[in-house]
Amino acid sequence: MTVVLPSACVLRGEALKVLSVRSWWALALPVAALALSVNVFGGLFAAAVGGGLDEGLPGVLPVSLAYSLGLTSVFAAVHGVVIATAEFRHRTVSTTYLVGGRVPVLLAKAAVAAGFGGVYALLTAVVGLPAGLLGQGAARLSSIGVLLGVIGTGIVVCALWSVLGVALGTVVVNQAGAMVGLLVYVLVLENLLSLVLRSGTDPDRAPGGVARLSSFLPANAGDIALYDLPARELGGRFGGTVVESLAGVAGPPPGWGALLVLLVWTGAGTALAWVVGDRRDVT
Amino acid sequence: MVRQSTRGAGVEPDGSGRIRVEGLGKRFGAVEAVRGLSFTVEPGAVTGFLGPNGSGKTTTLRAILGLVRPTAGTALVEGLPYGALPNPGRVVGAVLEAQGVHPARTARRHLHAVGAAVGVGEDRVEAVLGLVGLADAADRPAGGFSLGMNQRLALATALLGDPRILVLDEPGNGLDPQGIAWLREFLRGFARSGRTVLVSSHQLAELGQIVDRLVVLDAGTCVYQGATDGMRGRAAVRVRCADPARLAEALAARGVLEIDHVADGGLAVAADAVLVGDTALAAGVALYGLTEERGDLEQMFLRLTGGAA
Repeated sequence: MTVVLPSACVLRGEALKVLSVRSWWALALPVAALALSVNVFGGLFAAAVGGGLDEGLPGVLPVSLAYSLGLTSVFAAVHGVVIATAEFRHRTVSTTYLVGGRVPVLLAKAAVAAGFGGVYALLTAVVGLPAGLLGQGAARLSSIGVLLGVIGTGIVVCALWSVLGVALGTVVVNQAGAMVGLLVYVLVLENLLSLVLRSGTDPDRAPGGVARLSSFLPANAGDIALYDLPARELGGRFGGTVVESLAGVAGPPPGWGALLVLLVWTGAGTALAWVVGDRRDVT
Repeated sequence: MVRQSTRGAGVEPDGSGRIRVEGLGKRFGAVEAVRGLSFTVEPGAVTGFLGPNGSGKTTTLRAILGLVRPTAGTALVEGLPYGALPNPGRVVGAVLEAQGVHPARTARRHLHAVGAAVGVGEDRVEAVLGLVGLADAADRPAGGFSLGMNQRLALATALLGDPRILVLDEPGNGLDPQGIAWLREFLRGFARSGRTVLVSSHQLAELGQIVDRLVVLDAGTCVYQGATDGMRGRAAVRVRCADPARLAEALAARGVLEIDHVADGGLAVAADAVLVGDTALAAGVALYGLTEERGDLEQMFLRLTGGAA
């Protein structure tokens, strides 16, 4: 199969489109606000809980940072949906396809969205980390390696969710429908699915195959990847159990494995968007 | 194999500026929008693509441009399907919908974004803004544009790549009389430079003065294609006679089949007046009036497309 990559021209055109409207920074504002509030609270919590301990509780700030990056990934996905569906909403898709070609345009949008997803994650780190440090005051600092690891993972998770947003927007095309579908799935449906999959699990025994499936759902996979390092710092050899509690899953794979799961979901979503977008009649 | 977006790499367009549609068919569910459509659009001329609303014009144009997937036949631009053209913005410019611009984007930014994808610089953006008369409004969001301004912006977008072929779907919609006059002059000049213009309309009056060739569609099929003058030549002869039914029968026996019974009891016959007179004489039908209506393009268009004669 011949894979048609977008040219630098098509990539530049798609980037200019995103930069020439306000939606990217309109979404950046709540991202920054959430990063600030979540991590100030995380820092304060770390200081309050760990302040009386000789060793402190160094894993709390990375957890709050991971939590805020998880929230940011939802905004990144929303931005991906907006990038893809705006073309259909404003009937600009004909010109876009005529000039760039369907598949190159899809891939260019995915690449541009991934870039913005990474920027949102960086913004979360730039705002969240100082806010968390400020909140925890003199409490013991987490390992720089863990913090950088969480930020790096966050950049990848947000980039992948942005691409998933573009894929969803290309398949659904109706902006409101795609947005509502995304939010309902990520915020409600996947949690319900996880509950159903994990129901009946005996806490004293290893989770069964069905319960383990909860770790392979896309939002959960992103959470596992984000919480993996902080949970190990916080829980030591019980890190896996901490990840289970934080991400609401059973029998989670290691962080890199969870990233791989999310990557596979992203690849599958993009492949579906490729097929559907390539065959759709633009009338 | 992974390659950059040189769509159809290794296969180059022939540079002829020709569009060839062969046996094109498109079905949307139970509706057959276009069937068995074949025609060729040549460079150096303005080709009018005419038909009443719903006759399949937009579907055909979108099939040519690769936006609609045909269920039968082919549509080739310079010998290639549109999707196989490398950098198609340099080959074809298309005006399909007047409001195909993000309302929050200014005209200049819209053109910069599309121009970047085509691979042209800011100079070209400024040139097309000037060409369509939008330079003064270039920094206003397109959401505040009138329909006519949006049409001009759509044309500027189509011209960004300095294409060899222009495809326009109802470009006169929303333009004031001055705008239509300007568009006609522009299209005529574009075709005179040896390039190709395919322009659709449901109103012949809009195009009648500038089209060199016509492709007329009715209910998804081609009912005429050829020179505009050729269609004029097929105009009707109005006949008042003693026995219209007998004359119609006699004309049919001579191979004249395009005969309409008109409101005043006479006939409208797509044939030469001499032939009609001779046939009436031979059939023994008294003639009371024989009026040649040559050159009435509008009337022929209406006849061909099932409208009132």
